[in-house]
Amino acid sequence: MMDPQSLVNTQYPNQLPAPFWFIEFFKVLGFALHAFPMSLWYAGILLAMGMSASGHPLARRASWRLMRQMPLMVAYGVNLGIVPLLFVQVGYAAVFYPATILMAWFWLGIIVLLIPAYYGVYLYGADQRQTDEPVSGWRMAAGVVSGIFFVVIGFLFANGFSLMTNLGAWSSLWQQQEVAGATLGLALNTSDPTLWSRWLMMFGLAITTTAAWLAIDGGLFGRGEPEAYRLWVGRFAVLLYLVGVAVFGAFGLWYSLAGWSVEVQTRMWYSGWVVLTVLTALSPIGVLALLGALVLRGKPLGPWEASAIGLAQFIVLLLNAASRQLVQNLELSAHFQPWQMPVALQVGPLGMFLAAFVLGAVVVGWMIFQTVRSLGKVAPGEP
Amino acid sequence: MHFPWWYVPELTSPMLIALVAILHVLVAHYAVGGGFFLAVESSFAYRTKDQEYLDYLKRHARFFILLTVVFGAITGVGIWWTIGLASPLPTALLIQTFVFGWATEWVFFVIELTAAFLFYGFWGKLPVRLHQTLGWIYAWAAWMSLVLITGITAFMLHPGRWLEDQSFWSGFFNPQFWPQVVARTGGALLLSSLYVYLHVAVTEGQGRLRDLVENRSARPALLGAILITLGGLGWFALLPESARAVMSSAAVITVLMMLIFVLTAVVFVLLYVGPYRNPGWLSPGFAGALFLFGIAAFSTGEYIREAVRKPYIVYNKVFGNQIFVEQVPELRQNGYLEGGVWTRAYVAARYPQVMNGRSIDEKKLLELPQSDQVKLGEVLFQYHCNDCHATTRGYSAVGPLLRGWSRERIQHLVEHLDEGHFFMPPWCGTPEEAEILTSYLETIALPRPAGMLPARAQLERP
Ligand code: HEC
Repeated sequence: MMDPQSLVNTQYPNQLPAPFWFIEFFKVLGFALHAFPMSLWYAGILLAMGMSASGHPLARRASWRLMRQMPLMVAYGVNLGIVPLLFVQVGYAAVFYPATILMAWFWLGIIVLLIPAYYGVYLYGADQRQTDEPVSGWRMAAGVVSGIFFVVIGFLFANGFSLMTNLGAWSSLWQQQEVAGATLGLALNTSDPTLWSRWLMMFGLAITTTAAWLAIDGGLFGRGEPEAYRLWVGRFAVLLYLVGVAVFGAFGLWYSLAGWSVEVQTRMWYSGWVVLTVLTALSPIGVLALLGALVLRGKPLGPWEASAIGLAQFIVLLLNAASRQLVQNLELSAHFQPWQMPVALQVGPLGMFLAAFVLGAVVVGWMIFQTVRSLGKVAPGEP
Repeated sequence: MHFPWWYVPELTSPMLIALVAILHVLVAHYAVGGGFFLAVESSFAYRTKDQEYLDYLKRHARFFILLTVVFGAITGVGIWWTIGLASPLPTALLIQTFVFGWATEWVFFVIELTAAFLFYGFWGKLPVRLHQTLGWIYAWAAWMSLVLITGITAFMLHPGRWLEDQSFWSGFFNPQFWPQVVARTGGALLLSSLYVYLHVAVTEGQGRLRDLVENRSARPALLGAILITLGGLGWFALLPESARAVMSSAAVITVLMMLIFVLTAVVFVLLYVGPYRNPGWLSPGFAGALFLFGIAAFSTGEYIREAVRKPYIVYNKVFGNQIFVEQVPELRQNGYLEGGVWTRAYVAARYPQVMNGRSIDEKKLLELPQSDQVKLGEVLFQYHCNDCHATTRGYSAVGPLLRGWSRERIQHLVEHLDEGHFFMPPWCGTPEEAEILTSYLETIALPRPAGMLPARAQLERP
């Protein structure tokens, strides 16, 4: 048994180009932003296939709407995923590279699966018929295959990120598939109990986000739909959210009880951080309550209600991302403390990025505003 | 060394980078040039009130988005994935140095994505001016992303003043920056015309529309070819001397250089006599041939751009075997196995008898049984050579390269790795390590082919 510490490279990188809090901030914010659309393909595609197969005309309509929006979701979701991945490589290089290299083929498999999964989504949505009719068999097959690929991709990501903090497993995973000290890149972190619980916990969370999105879509973009649909989709969203909360709760509990080390448990349950832990655990119930109360009024949701749900769900994802970041740092702290690295601040480049960020926000806002204004109605959100 | 090494039998893991990168650039340049094509041509079609052309452009935009937004974008992420796996140290260096360049590029991706979806998604539903503006915003944002990534990739070939001052700007505006921006802009224009030709030839019958497209896209293609040539000359003029020398020293590269000139000339001539002088020639076969020659030239160019960096990954900063240039003296003194995080851990776990506390006692390596010495020699090979060489079979495999070599010759090569061949890094280990690497190489070196006359014993007069 090797000392895990002996596998951590602390020689390089040995400084940060921006303060640690800055890197952490963009990593967490970027992940929360990424998690919103990501949830829709992670849990949403297979759900949409089920809804379409159910034969219920309104469920079919909801499924059709979701899948019509899916290419956009994948485009922006993948794009937003770049942000946290960039900052994780800045702050956590010493653990990120070894973990992913040990599972190199699987990590690369994410890209290999993503391309057909993404095209599958386009293929499914290429159908121009605006009906509640069943989709053709091959189109359904494309959707199901995409959905499964996305779930597998989620599993591979969960592997990479759990292995990143599971330093104790590196040496045995390395030695199981090694050629003269080089890795064949065929490891998976499946012996880690936290892998399964966090993968499924994330799936539960993704179900809640999908439910929230169906309600948001009904209130914001689906105002042209018949009233019957808008009422139904609200009620359905409540039920689906409930299922999501149950899955999230069950696996979240398993994760935090069985997956966390004593140190992590002490900090997350028995220190001031318990506030964050409890908020993270209970926030989905808050959104459920909000959603339930709005739906129980017996009226379809409007744009304000929809925006409120969107914001609330984003807070859920943000809390989740922040807690995970905290746990990640705790799990690593025995071997690796990136927050202690010296900072060699790149003032000019940082300024360039922030300026571009503002400029980008203005340009994107302008384009959308002009388009919406000239259409005279809200964009239906489809490519 | 800092990170575990990923062993991909026969191919070697860095070759995966080349593979993914070539797939990506063939689409990424179209993503830029195609943006200008759509912006310029839709403006032209609006101005001339050519509805037939506008309808074609809309169909083209659909093809364009399906190819660039999905395949182009994901393979781009794929390069990033692959370099992190197969070349982690330079990747970490690039990320540390240019994180804000990348973050800025990301902003332009968001602009591109939004502009593309609005431009295509609301085609025909927007005021003409707004539609055109969206097209132009897309084109410029895409070009900016090209400029940003070029600064970062060109840095590897020649970091320029960055080597002294480590400043982001010195690294970004490196000597190779402008030549490569010009060449890549040209590449974007040329390649996108070839895509347009292929698309229009395959999807449209012969007639006015095809002739129109053929004629209109010939100029940007020729302009692109000229820019590639100018940028290429600048690239060549500003190469570090070692990179220029690689081109004449390595036979493969010389052949590829010839190939690229021939291919580019063929594309140029075909463009000139075809679309430019004789509109109406464009058939699916002709467009297909042009396209194939074009992507062959492109792929070759990208491959050369990568290959001439040897022995460096980042010129004068990171060697091909994943170590910093400044590490060499220390590694030669204390040992290559000792200097690597994963190699030291390997030795400590397998051969505790050679450990002296936490570090390796190099002298004791030679006391190990021969089979263990060979094994450790193989470890050295993985971490010192496998970046550029497969073992017994495959990419630049050392087994065949050493065919018939004596032990003395092999050991001499190892100890003077960069003498005979400046495109290899210097030997970065102790004499003991050279000895055990030689023992390993001896086991994989192929024998001199049998049956060759005069036989060794017949060389001297009896
Ligand atoms: C930066 C890349 C790189 C690294 C690292 C590298 N080589 Fe090479 N090596 C080359 C190239 C390029 C050639 C030329 C191959 C050819 O002509 O096909 C070469 C050629 C050789 C040859 C043939 C020499 C001859 O005279 O014909 C041998 C043997 C060889 N390398 C062994 C090694 C060994 C052993 C190591 C590790 C200690 C190593 N190389 C590390 C790039 C590298």
